Amino acid sequence: MNDSSQVALRPDEGEVGLVEYVDFVSKEPFHFESGGVIPELTLRYETYGRLNADKSNALLICHALTGNHHCAGVHSLDERKQGWWNFMVGPGKPIDITQYFVICSNVLGGCSGSTGPESINPATGKRYNLDFPKLTVRDMVKAQAMLLDHLGIENLHAVIGGSMGGMQTLQWVIDYPERVGRYIAMACCARHNAQAIAFNDTGRQAIISDPAWKEGDYAVDQPPAEGLSVARMMAHITYLSDAGLEARFGRKRRNEDQSKEHFEVEFEVESYLRYQGQSFVSRFDANTYLYLTKALDRFDLHGPDGSLDETLSAVQAPGLVVGFTSDWLYPPQGNREVVQSLLRLGKDATYAELEMDDGHDSFLLRAPQLHQLIRQFLAR
Amino acid sequence: MHPSAKKRQVDFQIIARWINEGESVLDLGCGRGVLLEYLMQTKKVYGVGVDINLDKIISCVKRRVPAYQGDIKAVLSSFQEDAFDHVILSRTVEELDSPDTILKAALRVGKRVTVSFVNHGYWKNRMNYFAQGRRTQNEVYPKPWYETLPSNPFSVNEFESFCTARQIRIADGVFLAGDWQSEQSLFPNLLAGYAIYDLEK
Repeated sequence: MNDSSQVALRPDEGEVGLVEYVDFVSKEPFHFESGGVIPELTLRYETYGRLNADKSNALLICHALTGNHHCAGVHSLDERKQGWWNFMVGPGKPIDITQYFVICSNVLGGCSGSTGPESINPATGKRYNLDFPKLTVRDMVKAQAMLLDHLGIENLHAVIGGSMGGMQTLQWVIDYPERVGRYIAMACCARHNAQAIAFNDTGRQAIISDPAWKEGDYAVDQPPAEGLSVARMMAHITYLSDAGLEARFGRKRRNEDQSKEHFEVEFEVESYLRYQGQSFVSRFDANTYLYLTKALDRFDLHGPDGSLDETLSAVQAPGLVVGFTSDWLYPPQGNREVVQSLLRLGKDATYAELEMDDGHDSFLLRAPQLHQLIRQFLAR
Repeated sequence: MHPSAKKRQVDFQIIARWINEGESVLDLGCGRGVLLEYLMQTKKVYGVGVDINLDKIISCVKRRVPAYQGDIKAVLSSFQEDAFDHVILSRTVEELDSPDTILKAALRVGKRVTVSFVNHGYWKNRMNYFAQGRRTQNEVYPKPWYETLPSNPFSVNEFESFCTARQIRIADGVFLAGDWQSEQSLFPNLLAGYAIYDLEK
């Protein structure tokens, strides 16, 4: 049933409200692009809104590296924090759940409930850890397609995502062109440049060189917390920007007490990053971080022949790619390159560039023009 | 329709004359995508617009016109030779920072290039400078100089001598009178308010 006729009666914006996740379990072996196999898989997902009678209003949201299936609403009424894209998803919001049936799943290889390195291997009764097969963005998308099959959804109104979600979005329209009506990829690229790989490897080395990592065989309650925390601190800087950090922290000092230890937290920005690092450890698995960052580094739409045009020739749906001026992790040029290729191929593609000071994470922030773009593009 | 909107659209029909059904069109400085929308509807073209301004791109998205936000020079260099049947610069050339280079690149990317512009050799435009000592300001150019993009006005004669110097062939040219309605083929540099050219390499 489609209740879009009631939209006009609603106030401007509402909330998704209380949500529950669901686990999709496939007992079939899953074959990875690398050749690896796992005997079964679980994908944890959430849905918002209602699927209409002809199943034509489904919209898939793909999350970024450290995101998960919980993109809007709350899990309990006393929860203070809403899903990671709450301002974008809801009644009357750009991704309007009175119009669309929104699906968001934790990626394959993730650590928020979907099968990944920290899951138990049914064959051994122990965690996969480094026995988990090599993972690619294509594997993530393949698992999402299985979820849609399970939900009985053949075609998607749209696929949308930023960062790693943007790469999944591009992979979607390459691997399943006939299943996607339109797509929006934000703050993404066709492949990592050397700088992005360098950042990722520095993070991985921080984890690997933590003695607690133990070749990936750490106990659940004794993770390589120091390494993972430093990896997160470093990565977090790449999600922000010079101007953004300056505006937020500048040289503000946390503690003016000069008698303190020499290397304790002195500046606000240090305090902020250390907090980011520490809180990350409690919600993210170190091996998963290694696997996902590697999947991103290997992602390369230029293919073995180095031809982006060849890879993108599969695309059928109209697309919108959005770059952000202050994004130095996936700079505008990498986003532009995708659209330039699509236009060379005679595809329906649009490139928009937002001037925002918040770096790579700009796509996660409120910006009226971004809202307008997404709302308009989904409606066309 | 607002008279200035009507005036703005007068070159659409002339530009459309040179375009065959189903051809591909790159509109440089596409603004809100009105021309491309018209060509997509009337000629079923594959159209792509280019504009530097995000709000214009958002308007293109509303019109379902594929558009690329960015610098014209950089966009042109991303396309192969003859990638489009037509490249259009409708009232764009006067705002370019290096028109010579961009027109050359446009002629590489397009099999044909359409250029339309306000003729600043038109007698009324001359009179504005001569009698009032001020530049043209009318319903099409309503804003004073300090509220507009830098503009590099030129005349029919100046444009044609540029084409001669660069060995650009003028396949067709249409001149409109001061009302931008009726055609004005006699003494266009003096009597035409608006000029539209179809160019070949």
